[in-house]
Amino acid sequence: MRIFSRRAREKVVISILMMLTAVAVIPLFWIVGSIVWNGASVMSIEFLTSLPAPFGSSGGGIGNAIVGTLMINCFASAWGIPLGILTGIYLSEYASAGRLSFIVRSVVESLSGVPSIVIGLFAFTVIVLTVRHYTGIAAALALGLMMIPLVAKATEESMKVVSNDLREAAIALGIPKYNVTTRIVLSMAKGGIISGSLLAFARISGETAPLLFTSLFSFYWPTGIDQPIATLQVLIYNYAISGFGDWVSKAWGASLLLVMMVLVINVAVRMLGRKKY
Amino acid sequence: MSKNKKSTFFDKDSAFKYLVVGSSLVVVIFFAMIFMMLLVRSYPAMANDPLMIFGSNWDVAAGIFGGAPAILGTLVSSAIAVLFAIPISLAVAIFFTEYAPRRIRTGLSVLIDMLATIPSVIFGIWGLWIIAPLVKTHIQEPIVSSIGFIPIFSGPAYGLSLFLASLVLTFMIVPIISSLSISLLSSTPVELREAMISLGATRWEVVKHVALPFSKPGIFAAIILALGRALGETMAVTMVIGNSFVWPFSSPSIFSPASTITSKIASELYEAIDVLHVSSLIELGLILLVITLVINSIARLIATRVSKRSGYT
Amino acid sequence: MAIKLETEKLSAWFGKKQVLKDVSLAFEEKKVTALVGPSGCGKSTFIRCLNRMHELNPDGRVEGKVLLDGENIYGMDPMDVRRKIGMVFQKPNPFPNMSISDNTVAGIRLSGEKSKADLEEVVERALKSVGLYEEVKDDLKRSGTSLSGGQQQRLCIARALAMEPEVILMDEPTSALDPASTSRIEELIRKLRSEITVIIITHNVGQAARISDMTAFLYLGELIEYGDTKEFFESPKSPITERYITGRFG
Repeated sequence: MRIFSRRAREKVVISILMMLTAVAVIPLFWIVGSIVWNGASVMSIEFLTSLPAPFGSSGGGIGNAIVGTLMINCFASAWGIPLGILTGIYLSEYASAGRLSFIVRSVVESLSGVPSIVIGLFAFTVIVLTVRHYTGIAAALALGLMMIPLVAKATEESMKVVSNDLREAAIALGIPKYNVTTRIVLSMAKGGIISGSLLAFARISGETAPLLFTSLFSFYWPTGIDQPIATLQVLIYNYAISGFGDWVSKAWGASLLLVMMVLVINVAVRMLGRKKY
Repeated sequence: MSKNKKSTFFDKDSAFKYLVVGSSLVVVIFFAMIFMMLLVRSYPAMANDPLMIFGSNWDVAAGIFGGAPAILGTLVSSAIAVLFAIPISLAVAIFFTEYAPRRIRTGLSVLIDMLATIPSVIFGIWGLWIIAPLVKTHIQEPIVSSIGFIPIFSGPAYGLSLFLASLVLTFMIVPIISSLSISLLSSTPVELREAMISLGATRWEVVKHVALPFSKPGIFAAIILALGRALGETMAVTMVIGNSFVWPFSSPSIFSPASTITSKIASELYEAIDVLHVSSLIELGLILLVITLVINSIARLIATRVSKRSGYT
Repeated sequence: MAIKLETEKLSAWFGKKQVLKDVSLAFEEKKVTALVGPSGCGKSTFIRCLNRMHELNPDGRVEGKVLLDGENIYGMDPMDVRRKIGMVFQKPNPFPNMSISDNTVAGIRLSGEKSKADLEEVVERALKSVGLYEEVKDDLKRSGTSLSGGQQQRLCIARALAMEPEVILMDEPTSALDPASTSRIEELIRKLRSEITVIIITHNVGQAARISDMTAFLYLGELIEYGDTKEFFESPKSPITERYITGRFG
């Protein structure tokens, strides 16, 4: 009797667990499903390559927002990735037990926990309030800053797994430390660092909050990084809350594109990471 | 004498070291500057009235900027989300580590990772156009019409509400708590597990008496970390919370539209002109920064203690 | 007999723990000197003081002198010291991100100085001197880690020899290898004796007897006995040495 009740309880437990697990993962299918359902119908060459149509008229596309997102991401990566890698090198190879390394480590940890909108506020106060107009530079500052802790951690972790034997072998040959670090350790950690940088790129591609009051939005092709620039993320937000039918379906189309981009990078990194030597 | 090249200032070896140390310092300076700049730019609001930000009324036209509803909205929406997320995430973690066959486990971990990579604005458009109408008709209306006499469940049933924001936040933080809990639960010492199994315990009994107690502090840290993430979440919340100052002073119902610090900043800053308005929004951001940093430090403190402890055992 | 390398009252610490106590030892030029002793006796620390590797340990500390041709290496640039005094480790450690030929000349190429040497020629010469050239000459571009354990260790010796060092330190170079590879390396060490000063740690008393000219016995951080290998094994002066070489240590 007792055995039966324990076994019965086990069954109840399993069904509850499976139910709640379903609750956790169903949103993924639901989100992807609704994006594909609502977004696929607006996909066309025109949608991907042309400027938005004036408000109220249908047609047009999101070409400028695609270019804008890529442009801001590239500027952000151009400074965020190198600074992240150098910080990661410091943490893995040069940080001793001293106070500086404790500070750098805590800052990198804390920076990854700062809400993205606060990072955006920082860029807003430093650049937008100074130059007195919205600019893509502020957006690139914010997004680059968000990449630093991600890239630094990936760099540190992939350099730390390089066996110490190899560092010693190199030092024993009389190779100076910068070459031990860059030509041996860094070169072996390359895969992990590239993966980490790609993931950071994917991550900032979806960040919207820091762009709302930095790069703002634009209905034209970007002419320079120092101008207000349309991005996919802000376009999705603006169009989705507009309530205007044609814009809302364009927001779904832009969402499909954005999610595809983010997921493709993530899947690619996952597959790259699988073949290790 | 000896060829002592060590002392030359600009050989490549020390140049590289300066580059690496200098870059790390730049990152540290940036971090310090976030505080500095927010402090400097919120100064006009603080100088005007240091306590005004904690007031209950926000009226741009009248120049009154009380952020209490937004601050409370941030705290309450995140707290509800964490309460919802705890049982779901633990169920995922327990199912994953104790019950799921290997094949399902690989699939499940991919799904959890993918869920964590979906951008916030996508959760927003989904919440706004797909979930909001369903929540309104299938959750809010039945509750309001049955137990609506309780103030926190009172009507009318708007779709966009504090409750909806909490619900969407729940789905966003479940991946965080569950993936961390999975690694904690699976690091339960095998000896403890086997001791329990040899006593004839069922899997659930092993979970209840061994795995969960063993991982409790770490799971707690994961929950705090998720709380920090929820507090700072912007886009999804802004899109589904309704951005209204009704809650909590005019109506305490969780089905009322409400606001959070992030939704306030996201929906007002780009069109704010008045200096006091801008600096009040920045001050709200500073408050958010302080709250999240404290929360994250607590989580990290617990996590380091956990990893030290498991180092000894 | 010329003295190549000499320690004077060499002491070393790990934090507060002293692991070497006033070791004074003179190594003769172009001879093979074996260092033996039970594990934990300080042999590894000793050899790592000879090319300034011990000080890389965050709490490693060294006192005393190490004279290379009469000049204290602790007054020289550590990188120069390590170029003159090569080292081979217990576990073969070719650089996995480099080909066989790149591994061989890694020290020259990454030394930070422009080199005029013909690298291809250096590769050939170094690999020939360890008897690896014939085995790998057709796939010099293959990864160094694709070789067998014994071949990897010979590649590491070639890598050290390519720097044309004056002294080569070996820290139990055969302990991770099978008997066949071990005897190839022992043969190689005997051959090197005519060209270079070799200092080798071995946990294997038989190996010391087979390959070395001189043998030193370290015990608990102190030098107990040092002398001609033949005499060392036939008539040890210290009772501790005798107990060690007759295998009566735990």
